[in-house]
Amino acid sequence: MNTRLLMTLHVKVGTLLNIGAVPCGTRRTALLGGGTFEGPRLRGTILPGGSADWQLLRPDGVLEMDVRFTLRTDDGALILMRSFGLRHGPPDVIAAIGRGETVDPSTYYFRTLPRFETAHPAYSFLNRLIAVASGDRRPEGPIYTIHEVL
Amino acid sequence: MSHTINYRPLMVLRLATSATQEIGSTAQGTLTIFPVTGGSFEGERLRGKVLAGGGDWVTAHGNGTFTLDLRLTLETDDGGLIHMTFTGVRDDANSYFRTVPRFETAAPKYAFLNRLLAVGIGEIRSEGPVHIIEEIL
Repeated sequence: MNTRLLMTLHVKVGTLLNIGAVPCGTRRTALLGGGTFEGPRLRGTILPGGSADWQLLRPDGVLEMDVRFTLRTDDGALILMRSFGLRHGPPDVIAAIGRGETVDPSTYYFRTLPRFETAHPAYSFLNRLIAVASGDRRPEGPIYTIHEVL
Repeated sequence: MSHTINYRPLMVLRLATSATQEIGSTAQGTLTIFPVTGGSFEGERLRGKVLAGGGDWVTAHGNGTFTLDLRLTLETDDGGLIHMTFTGVRDDANSYFRTVPRFETAAPKYAFLNRLLAVGIGEIRSEGPVHIIEEIL
């Protein structure tokens, strides 16, 4: 697959809302504490309020992530980013992440598929692309490296 | 920190469709439904046929792009049923047709499909749409 770097997104997790056991698994919502993004063609901040990761831990041990972020570029454009992702790995690695330790991201699976929507002409290329991201869960929050699928 | 994402071939999916159902202009765009009548899929780890009854809900937008929304049932050659859904973007002006498939199955042999994300390259060929799908490693 041919890809090129779109941006790196640094997320700081804020409040964690533990919804608990729901019919399809265990649900938790991670509200955004703050964040930034930077790439060759765009950079800016992630806006709190409406930006969160709605997570579902499935009975098979896979964490499903459903992220919605509002991005604001340094020149004022607003971009809706939505991404669906999966995270899973060996139990000891997942437990270490749960304890807030820094873990080598190559030891677990953390991939997401971001999609973008914007009305700003300078960034309309985002409306037309499919992207793939790899995640690195740090104690303060995830770092996503997002590649455009060419 | 790993910045490189690797891929490996998952399957080539070939679809056969029947006459389109033209829903027309909706709030989202111009909606056309392509009923899927059959097809095949083949990869190193799985192969079989596409069951009739699925479809592709294609919305044409004002900016020249199409969004896809497919829903299929795959049946492997050893009898496993796999529910497959995918969305995607088609932008003919830029020869861009990329998809993000997802799978759900209860067949233990194919449970790996429940745990992966994939990305596909679509092509419209004379015999019908073909999707070359790779697993995101």
